[in-house]
Parts: sequence; structure tokens; C-alpha cells
Amino acid sequence: MTAIRTAIRTATAGLALLLAAACTAPTAPRSQASSAASTVCAKPYGRLPAQTPTTIDVIEQAYFCILGNYYSGATMDARSLLTAGFIALTRELNLSGRDVAEATMSALTGDREDDWTAFEAVYRKVTAQVPDLSDKLAVVTLEAIVASLGDNHASWAHGGAGAPPGYYDGDGYGLGLQASVYGAQVNGNPGAALPPLFVTTVEGGAAQAAGVRPGDIIESIDGSAPFIDGKPTPAIAALYPQYPQVGPVKLRLLRQSTGRRWSVTLKPGVYERDLAALQGVTSKLLDGGIAYVRVRGFAPDAADRVFKAISRLRVGRTLTGIVLDLRGNGGGSPKEAIRLLSAFVHGKNTAYLCTVDAKCEALRTDDTVELLDLPLAVLTDRSCASACEHFSSAVKDLGVGKLVGARTAGAISGPSEPFKLTNNTMLAFPTRHHLGPNRETLDRIGVPPDHYVPLTPKDAAAGRDPALAKALTLLHK
Amino acid sequence: MRHLLAVAAGLVVLAASACSAPTPPRSATSPSPTPTGPAVLPAPTGDHPVGTTILHVNDTSRPDPWNLDVQTRELKVTLWYPTEQKDGQKAPYMTPKESELFLKGSKVAGVPSDTLSKTRTNAIKDAEPAGEKLPLVVLSPGFTKPLSSLTSLAEDLASRGYVVAGIDHTYESYVTTLSDGRVAECIACDSDTDPGFGPRVVQGRAADVSFVLDQLPAKWDASGLIDRSRIAMVGQSIGGAGAMAAMVKDSRVRAGIDIDGSTYTRIPKSGFSRPFMFIGSEQHVPGGNDSSWDRDWKLLTGWKRWIAVTHTDHQAFTDIPLFGPSLGIKPVYGFLPAKRSAEIARTYVAAFLDQHLKAQRQPLLDKPSTQYPEVKLCPENCGKS
Repeated sequence: MTAIRTAIRTATAGLALLLAAACTAPTAPRSQASSAASTVCAKPYGRLPAQTPTTIDVIEQAYFCILGNYYSGATMDARSLLTAGFIALTRELNLSGRDVAEATMSALTGDREDDWTAFEAVYRKVTAQVPDLSDKLAVVTLEAIVASLGDNHASWAHGGAGAPPGYYDGDGYGLGLQASVYGAQVNGNPGAALPPLFVTTVEGGAAQAAGVRPGDIIESIDGSAPFIDGKPTPAIAALYPQYPQVGPVKLRLLRQSTGRRWSVTLKPGVYERDLAALQGVTSKLLDGGIAYVRVRGFAPDAADRVFKAISRLRVGRTLTGIVLDLRGNGGGSPKEAIRLLSAFVHGKNTAYLCTVDAKCEALRTDDTVELLDLPLAVLTDRSCASACEHFSSAVKDLGVGKLVGARTAGAISGPSEPFKLTNNTMLAFPTRHHLGPNRETLDRIGVPPDHYVPLTPKDAAAGRDPALAKALTLLHK
Repeated sequence: MRHLLAVAAGLVVLAASACSAPTPPRSATSPSPTPTGPAVLPAPTGDHPVGTTILHVNDTSRPDPWNLDVQTRELKVTLWYPTEQKDGQKAPYMTPKESELFLKGSKVAGVPSDTLSKTRTNAIKDAEPAGEKLPLVVLSPGFTKPLSSLTSLAEDLASRGYVVAGIDHTYESYVTTLSDGRVAECIACDSDTDPGFGPRVVQGRAADVSFVLDQLPAKWDASGLIDRSRIAMVGQSIGGAGAMAAMVKDSRVRAGIDIDGSTYTRIPKSGFSRPFMFIGSEQHVPGGNDSSWDRDWKLLTGWKRWIAVTHTDHQAFTDIPLFGPSLGIKPVYGFLPAKRSAEIARTYVAAFLDQHLKAQRQPLLDKPSTQYPEVKLCPENCGKS
């Protein structure tokens, strides 16, 4: 259950897509596990024993694990990994005021083994000078190596602060608000953010206590503008603190309806959320016989839950269409995305998973799923990520429905697969990249809606949902 | 949460979360031993013969939390109680249909689907209740498990002079037989990966418990035997979390035991002073994987105990290890024999209830026992494993 809790906490912090993907990678039975993966690092089995500190040997294992298994591991210039790691190491030395004379990068030749040996020699020499920093240095080095892949489905799960004090399953952590630039976007694709920055949802916690409301425009964060010349600034990330970040965040707000400008200081913390609003699949019947189904993530059973909800709404009446609301859907199991899609189309490829040398596996619809035979509109936004984009791209490319709202997140490099390191931490990354049904790249690009209907601060303040209204218009035609 | 039978089946212990790594495929590498024939539950240890009967209650004041098409909450309640009747037909452990659906849900194959219905129990079906001013114990099973999975504990408590009211929380188990004979399956299983699922379940269980306490006087002819000022609740896994939830919500529940269940109920910050005991498997120790007990421990201001039992897993204190061999499931190497972990559960649960409902002081709960060296008193005498 700890894993569930951790997943939830991370999800609320806006990393749902990464974690969900890491959780759902298909795992081969033990007997088959080692054949595909190099022996350097294996798929995890069973409960992981307690983590031990990260050492140079663990970094070495991760380095060769990436080169042996990562999507472009076979063709990449391994020097980029070592350089990124060394930059982070020297930065950390600098930050802690403990710079070391020997901390210069060794000459790299392009030979992966030789370069590692050279890197390790310098690394050992440096860390021997500052033994009390060695744990921290190892962590920042490996974090930087993984980050240098620039892959939104690559991650290294280690340590972690554990649950915040007073945390209960279902709680959120942070300021208690969601804004028009989402947590996932801040981490995954910040360049895509558009001004103005405004509050879309108040979930609880400090934001609720301070009287913040949907539609309030955030003019500054800790004194910094969220956008300069229309471009997003790093200040936005402060809206989504993750435990153990506890420093208060000062927001300057504008409420358009009254013209009021004021500042609030919000302290991050654990806050209780509405349990009903956390359910993975919820549904209701809308006017004109339209079934509205919201899918908050592609968890196991998600597709079946949607099918059950629709057949329930179908009892005793004729449905005329379906609105699938995938806004905020951070992804999850590709299998569930495929099953859900298969209720609308059969005999098609929903996506391709391709190796770096363009060997592709086509992912087919599951034609055992019964077709619903109903017109479909799908609501998307910039936090529809990963499996959500797999689904949305197939809806669009295969012509099974209309996308309404905003472009998807563009966080779908490929399904993340976990690899265990010797200190019981977990490395995860794609071994293959995801392409849409037309073999197009979706990662960092996202899927554009057929009908662009962005949410405005006025809509948020008034509780209006123009994207849903547009979807209903389309289905009523 | 759904993979817990696998735990008892000797596979690696997993809390079966979405993100846990998968279980190694032991069954693929080593063939299952031959099923042993019907399981026999251990005899109760108390002085009284035991009777049992089934009631159905229906709460029309609230819709079912899981089945959106049902506007009331129907619950099956199984009672165990002391009787003077020594002979009579033993109650079935479960029906053949219940056995079938429970095995199917638990992904146990290779044995006749009615195997569990042949499990031999000790309680006499619909025997005449006997006694007066009996304390009452509400019993709540783990997620996906029918209440039957706690029969060994229930029979033992009844033999020691308790009335036990066990609740099958409809749609939270692979199988619940309703009053009209229809069978409810596990609808809640669809949502067990949702954030906030645990709190939703235990809120519902607390409401179920309060309703059963309300209804018992009207629904059970012998309810006059119950001393309603002496009520406790015991639950396993999420049923144990439900015990905490019920106590916080309903002051009629005077004391509670959580057997190896992560908890989900907000205890008031001002504290909570009614007696409570955590009984954990060997992993369930302070600073371990589940931080919920550490969190709650600080807020328990009354009599409290936290024990962890070495060489046990999550299902050790249920009937599952007892009937495992009848399903061809090998006991887990290195874990306590099923009878031993059942004995420990019976002994410590009864000691707690005797102390708090019968006002009989129990030294067993105050210090390590040479008779039960497996039982560690936390936090002082149990380390992080």
C-alpha cells in the first residue's frame, strides 16, 4: 500500500504520467526477463528490499543499463551522459562551498568502457576529498545522467521523503490549487504554457483557506512574473511544491470581476480532497441522451469501468452520443487505452512502438471488445498525457470522433520500463518510442484538437465549461 | 489489494498495489502439491459450544456505495454465540457458489470449485443461544474476502462467551449471498486503484457497522443476551481499518483491534482515548513500509498496544492458511504453521477483549511472553525488519 500512497502523492504533484507509465510496463516472467535486457540491470521482482546509498558502482550500473537498454542507448554518444553527470557533480561541490582541485573532467574518447574508467577514476578522487558529501554527490550525478536523456518517461526513483506527516490516502499536497498551467506541464513541456496564468480549481488546503477562487489571475509568484514577453518563466513551478518543500509561496492575484488586486501567502501542506472527485471513472447522463464519462487515468480496469458506466446509462433509453472527458488524464496503461478505443473501431493500428533502428511493433485494436456504435467527442487539454495521448491520437487519426479543447501534453516518448539497480532503487525509461497511427511523432508535440476551445479566466470564475458545450453541439448535429 | 490470497499461497508478499513489481511465477516452476481434502477448522478453545445464524439487514436510508443501481444498502450478518446445544448440524463454511466465486476471484484453479464449502466448521447451525449480558464483538473481513475467512477467530470468541456479529460488506468481497439468494460480486474491485479508495471503503464500513448495531435488537430474537454497553470491533486488513473508522464515528464501539490493515481514518488531533490494538505481520513494524500505524500511534491517547508477529504474512491470522492445503497451496517455507498463527490470533484477540470488555487484567498484553516468543511488543521490542 505504500506504493499506492507514493504513487498518489507523486500524481498529485503532477507526475502522474511518468509514474503510471512506469507502473504499467508489461513484465516478462522471470525466465524470460534476462534475455532481452542486458545482464547489467534486471526487471524488478517482488518487494524491493530497503534502499542502500547510491555509490559509484550504482552509477556505473545505471550508465551501462541505459546504454544497453534505453531506446537510443545503442547509438547515443555516451559522453553526453558522463558530461551531464560531471556538470552536476561540480555544481553540487560549488553549491556546498567545497570545491575540489581535482574536479576536472577527464578526456573522453568515445569508447564507452574506457570513458567510464576515466570518469570513475576522477569521481573517486573527488569524492575521497569530501567523504561526507559522497552520498549527495552520487545522487545528483545519477539524477543528471538520467535527466540528460531529455525523456519525459525516463526517471530514477530513489530515496524520497516518504509520506508527509499527517498524510492520508487521497490527500493532496501543495498549495491546494490547480492553475491553467498544470503541474505535469511545468515538468514535462513548460514551453507550451500560455498566458494568462489563472486558477482553474481550488481543491482545498491553503488556497481554500485564503479564499482563492477559480478564475483568479496569478500576476506574480514570489515576486516573479509567470510570463515575460509571453514566454513562461520558471516561477510557475513554485505553484506545485512537492513534499518536503514547505516554504510559503506568495501570489499576487487579480479578480477580474471586481478588479481587486491582492496578495496571499500560501504554505504548502497536506490537504483533504473530495473523495468522490478522485474516482477514476465517473459518469452522468446529459440532455439529449448523451453519456458523459470522465476518465481521470488509464488505471487497470479503466476501460471496463467506462463500458459498465455506458451500459448502465443505456438501460431503458437510447443514447445519442458519448463525451469522454480526458482532461487531466495523466495516462497509465496503454492496454486500457487500446481497449477503450476498441469500443469505437476495430481492425486498426492504434500506435507503433519503434526501436531506434525503426523496427516497429504495431499495436492493434482489441477486436473482442464490443463496438458501442455511438458518435464520440473527446475533451482534451494540456494535461492529457501519455496513454491519454495514445488514445486521443488514435481517435483523431482513425476518424472515430472529434477532439475538443486544447492540444494534449506531448509527454509520450514511449512506455517506461523499470530496471532495478543494486542499491534497490529503480531506473525506468522507454526501450521503444511511441508513434501515432500515421507513424507520426507525438512526443513534445501532442495531439491538436479538432476544435480549439480554451478555458478563459471568466469561464473558470463562472464555472462554465465551453469545451463540453462545444462537444455537445457537435454531437447534437 | 486483490492479490492477497496469493500471499497465503506462498508467493512473495506484496501489498498488490498498482506499482508493486509483479510476483514471481512460483507456480510455473514448482508444481502444486496435491490438495489434502476438506480443511478442518481448529476446535474453539472456550468453555461453551458455539451456535451460528445468518441475518440480512437493509439500510433504506442510504444508497449502496458501489452498485449505483441499488438505492439501499443490504448487508449479510453472521452471528456466532455461546449455546448449550452440543449436537446438531454444523454450519456450512460457505455455499458451493460462494466457494466457486471466491476461488475464481482469488485465481485459484486446479481444485473442484466447491472445495471450500466442504471446510468443516465447529458451530451448530441455528442453535439456541445461551447466556446473559454477553459482550458483543463486530467482525469485519479484508477486502475481497468473505466474512467466512474469519470463522476460526469468530468461533473461538463465541466459545469464550462473546456474541460475534460478522459483516459481509456487500460488493467489497468476491462473493456475498444476498437475502433473496442473489449473489453480489466485487464491484468495489473496479475502483481499488483510485486515490482515496481506502478512505471510501472504511467510511462505508463504519456506516455498515453503525447500522448493524442499530438493527440487531429488532432483527435477532436473542439480542436480549447482549450487553450493549460492552461492544468492540475486530477486523482484518481493511476490516481492521474499518474498526478504527467505526470507533471514531460511533461511540458505542468501546474498543478495537486492527489485524494488519493500513488505516485510513482521521483520528481527531485532540487524540482518541478508547483502547486500541494493532496486530501486525512481521513487516508491520514502526518505521516499516506502512506509515499509517506510526501516524495513528501518536494520536492514540488511551490504552494501546502494537504487536508484530515474526514469521507471518498478511493473511496469517485469517482462515486462509488453514484451508490453503485443501486448495493444494503449499505452506510458506519459514512461516509459522497455520495452526500456530491462528492460535496466536485467537489468544491475543481474546486477551484484549477480556481485558477491555470483561475487565479481566491480562498480563499477556503487558510484556513479552515465553509461551509466544513470536509476538513482539512494539515499539520497544520490535525492530524494523
